[in-house]
Amino acid sequence: MLHDTGHSFKILSNCVSSQVQVHAKYGGVVPEVAARLHIEKILPMIQLALKQAKKKIAEIDYIAVTAGPGLMSSLMIGTETAKTLALALNKQLIRINHIEGHLLSITEQLEFPAVGLVVSGGHTQIILVKDYLKYKLIGETRDDAAGEAFDKVAKILGLGYPGGPAISVAAAKVESVKSIPGIEIKLPRPMLDKVGFEMSFSGLKTSVLYKWNELVKILSPENLDKARNLMAYEFQKAVVEVLVAKTAAAALKFKAKTIVLGGGVSANKWLRSEMLRVISEKLPDVNVLMPEMKMAGDNAAMIAQAAYFHVLKKDFIEPTKLKPDPGWELVS
Amino acid sequence: MKVITKNEQQTIKLGEKFGQTLKGGEVVLLVGDLGAGKTTFVKGVAKALGVKRVVNSPTFVLMKIYVIKNKELRITNLIHIDTYRGLDIGDLKNIGAVEYFKRKDCVSFVEWGESLEDYLKKEKINFKKIVIKNISETKREFNFIE
Repeated sequence: MLHDTGHSFKILSNCVSSQVQVHAKYGGVVPEVAARLHIEKILPMIQLALKQAKKKIAEIDYIAVTAGPGLMSSLMIGTETAKTLALALNKQLIRINHIEGHLLSITEQLEFPAVGLVVSGGHTQIILVKDYLKYKLIGETRDDAAGEAFDKVAKILGLGYPGGPAISVAAAKVESVKSIPGIEIKLPRPMLDKVGFEMSFSGLKTSVLYKWNELVKILSPENLDKARNLMAYEFQKAVVEVLVAKTAAAALKFKAKTIVLGGGVSANKWLRSEMLRVISEKLPDVNVLMPEMKMAGDNAAMIAQAAYFHVLKKDFIEPTKLKPDPGWELVS
Repeated sequence: MKVITKNEQQTIKLGEKFGQTLKGGEVVLLVGDLGAGKTTFVKGVAKALGVKRVVNSPTFVLMKIYVIKNKELRITNLIHIDTYRGLDIGDLKNIGAVEYFKRKDCVSFVEWGESLEDYLKKEKINFKKIVIKNISETKREFNFIE
């Protein structure tokens, strides 16, 4: 729930159902597919958000909802609930693109043009933001999303789940042991030298797989532990180097005043520090904005924040006309 | 039938050839380890069907649907599903994926699809299986099983 403070906004409540925090990856329910759970949870979650914000539902001015991209089964529950509430309470309704939510998960205002990097388990996109509500996809991964690559590499190395934090923790242990005598761990930087903003992380994953299988054959258990951390370190470095370089190149080309990060992987500390370091070095006039940690992953407050800018431009939709769009590409 | 591809480009080409043989209603299970080239193969299929959008991994979003606008084909949707995160048949029913298996205007590709075999046989839904083996870092063997 968001409160308009006149020239900006304040988050009153941001509730995440425990259902989505359960990463039951290895057996059990994958959170997003449990349509029945979504139905059971959505009204109690709305009530909780109202309670935490100390508001009554009649005091709400606008209702915003994610209409895509995503699974139809999940999107429908959200959109039907929002439509019903908007009709019953006679409130204006705003449809928001999930990616737009990630782009606007920061609290600062953007200066335009801006370049956004949305990076998560499911998405890795570079988006040109000409103004609020004016977006253009200029590059994306052609295979695995960066977060997905973290996850799969963590599995290859036996580092557990979720993969992002597991890789970062292992990589941080490298400070003391930078090398193993006779072993060099070097991974490619996919697409780095190619013009344009397309990215690729699948080959990097395969490269880790083959190098790791070789190391398992030849190293002692003690050295293998060191190698695991070194591999995590080199992998994280490779992914971040590509993400930062592509974002910087886009910012340069489009003369961006702001770079904005969003998505679960934007919580990665190495990505955050490298983005700040490289941009302050190469493009000192460009301001880098990053979401608070709790706003990086999927959440509802980012949807409300994006909706704030739609309200300013009076961009509403008739409840009866709102349809979920599983493949909605952010363009305008 | 077994085919060896030497690199990513050849795998896309192979997917493209396979895509040209599709008539609609096919369900294809893609079986192979991490990095085998399952998504790469589907890229080729999408190319053959005239999909303009980037086809990338559905692992996290679970299912991607590409609308086919080619009027010469009776196929209107390419369905790209991934069960890597542990989706079982109940989960696939929940997200509406199973409905597409019975539609003659859709073609469905399921990565890590081996777990669906029993269900598809029980429901008498025809399917093809493609087993991909990693031979070296870039070389792959595709085994097409009807």
